[in-house]
Amino acid sequence: MNFLLSPAPHIRDNKSVTIIMCVVMLALLPATLGGVYFFGWSAAILVLLSVISAVATELVMNKMMKREVSIMDGSAALTGLLLALCVSPSLPYYQVVFGAIFAIIIGKQLFGGLGFNVFNPALVGRAFLAAAFPVHMTTWANAFAYRGLDAVTQATPLAAMKFSGQGTSYLALFYGNVGGCIGETSVLLLLLGGLYLLYKGIIDWRIPISYLGTVAVLSFVFKADPIFHLLAGGLLLGAFFMATDYVTSPITAKGMWIFGIGAGILVVIIRLFSGLPEGVMYSILFMNAFVPLINRYTRPRILGRKK
Amino acid sequence: MKILKMIVVLTLIGLISGGVLAYVYQWAELKIAANQVRETDAAVFKVVPGTKSYKTIAKDDLTYFECFDDVDGKLGTAILCQGNGYQGVIKLIVGVNADFSKFTGMSVLEQLETPGLGAKISEAVFQAQFNNLAARPPIEYVKGISPSKPNEIQAITGATISSRSVVNIINKTIEEWLRVK
Amino acid sequence: MKKGLMFELLKGLWDESPTFRQLLGMCPTLAVTTSIINGFSMGVATLFVLLCSSVIVSLLRSAIPKEIRIAAYVVIIAAFVTVADLFLKANFADISKALGPFVPLIVVNCIILGRAEAFASKHGVIPSFVDALGMGLGFTLALTLIGSIRELLGSGMLGQPWVIMILPSGAFITLGLLIALMNVIKDKTKAKLAPACPLACPGCEQGGVN
Repeated sequence: MNFLLSPAPHIRDNKSVTIIMCVVMLALLPATLGGVYFFGWSAAILVLLSVISAVATELVMNKMMKREVSIMDGSAALTGLLLALCVSPSLPYYQVVFGAIFAIIIGKQLFGGLGFNVFNPALVGRAFLAAAFPVHMTTWANAFAYRGLDAVTQATPLAAMKFSGQGTSYLALFYGNVGGCIGETSVLLLLLGGLYLLYKGIIDWRIPISYLGTVAVLSFVFKADPIFHLLAGGLLLGAFFMATDYVTSPITAKGMWIFGIGAGILVVIIRLFSGLPEGVMYSILFMNAFVPLINRYTRPRILGRKK
Repeated sequence: MKILKMIVVLTLIGLISGGVLAYVYQWAELKIAANQVRETDAAVFKVVPGTKSYKTIAKDDLTYFECFDDVDGKLGTAILCQGNGYQGVIKLIVGVNADFSKFTGMSVLEQLETPGLGAKISEAVFQAQFNNLAARPPIEYVKGISPSKPNEIQAITGATISSRSVVNIINKTIEEWLRVK
Repeated sequence: MKKGLMFELLKGLWDESPTFRQLLGMCPTLAVTTSIINGFSMGVATLFVLLCSSVIVSLLRSAIPKEIRIAAYVVIIAAFVTVADLFLKANFADISKALGPFVPLIVVNCIILGRAEAFASKHGVIPSFVDALGMGLGFTLALTLIGSIRELLGSGMLGQPWVIMILPSGAFITLGLLIALMNVIKDKTKAKLAPACPLACPGCEQGGVN
């Protein structure tokens, strides 16, 4: 499918915000269920708590700010779901509630609600949690630890690579039985959801492709294993479900390329040259800040006007 | 005439300010010096317990304090160490006993590590690990498990880089001290 | 219209609060308010410099030619800042260490030069003293408030310590939310006290949107 941006008149699509949000949540379902399978019921409780607190906060804020109630558009629920998918499965429950409240209030409502927020609200919530509770956010339950089969905590594949030089098998990364955030470990399940979104035309292919491509090429250039860096960490979750957020990503085709490539460069820089093992969250948040600028400079020329 | 007035006024203001400052400085100087001595005293007494008096020695960018007590003579040495941490310079002081067989203590003097993570190097739990730590071979750190060897400390969870920095700073400074002393 | 001394004192606490209304002195506001004691001592140090320099500037206001007034103010302010810095170093070494370079940096705090230029150079000693006292107290109050919120949350008032509150981002979040809260209160009380004047002349406090 080829999307062309043009001035009015527009062909009206029958995709409403609610339908889009529901399709995205449906696409996240495999990864969510996978997270519960790998990390146990505590993961399911975290997801539920996060969604409920996000929706409840949205409702309270709507009432307090005397705005139209917007919880039925599903965006708050999606924010809650995405936030839960990118936190550690062993996070204390109340912390995810704080994260969801922060995401909705500071990340979304104070900017003016859906459509006005500069930063991806779920990632704002996650950034808050990472800064507020760094120890809990970097303590990772091992996959299947809840069944009492294995060691309880474990480094994520990226942390193991960065701090101890240990690799993780591609197969384990693909399947997902490794340490990590609830919804980021299984490449298989994330691909399933991502491809479904592409197939339904909900997201544009340019951002994921340029994002993932840049990470692969750059990690190859810097003599790191490109396949490992594609499969490990939250890259796929970020590329398909967070970098493609309508509100916080560019609207022009050229802008999407710039956004994806910029985020990809940041991920590789953070992963390979900084003190942090993973950089997907900061790469997307950082590029979010540039979106208004990108949109402005990649705006298509109006016919007949000088450039 | 106007120019003259400007010059006179500004000069007068400068002179009076300077005079006031000179007076205040004279008063503050002694107290500030006393504060610094007290700080050094506290640090040295903490890392080499039992010290009654010490001698400050500065050699090749290295500052260390030979510590003595009233009875047995030399107790050990307190060495100032400095190096890069995760976010900024870490300054610390470490004590070794007289025959250089073990560390007697460690105290972080200045650090800019992340609050809640790396900043835990300033906490007593982390610093206590250096009491009675074997001085040779150089210190090593382990993660997530209890130390098994006499020269091992346990890194702070989630702050491996800050813990490693402390270990590296101490090891490097000790090597230098062995060379110059 | 001549306004009373009480007005000059109180405006610094609320209507023209240097921190929440004029957004002056942001550098220490954001940098040193990691704890109550840091915020409070920074506020008091600033209050001291503000009081002394305002009084001196007001006393000398007719003696200083206007072409060199800024240079003269800066010398006066710098002298008092150095006095404050030496005093802290001598008597409160720990606080001085925690505040670091931000005590010497009071020299460039806009509140102080701002009050000297906007108020003390045009008013008598007593109003200038009261104005400086109000502004300084407003600044101290604001820094202490931010410091207490950050220290309480950062040290674990709500469950685990919120490390973010003692990081720079916590300062921005706290300041932003406090300004928002202040705006809400101001809007509410204004709507209650004075119904908007129907004439709504531009520049008038009573009319229209302020």
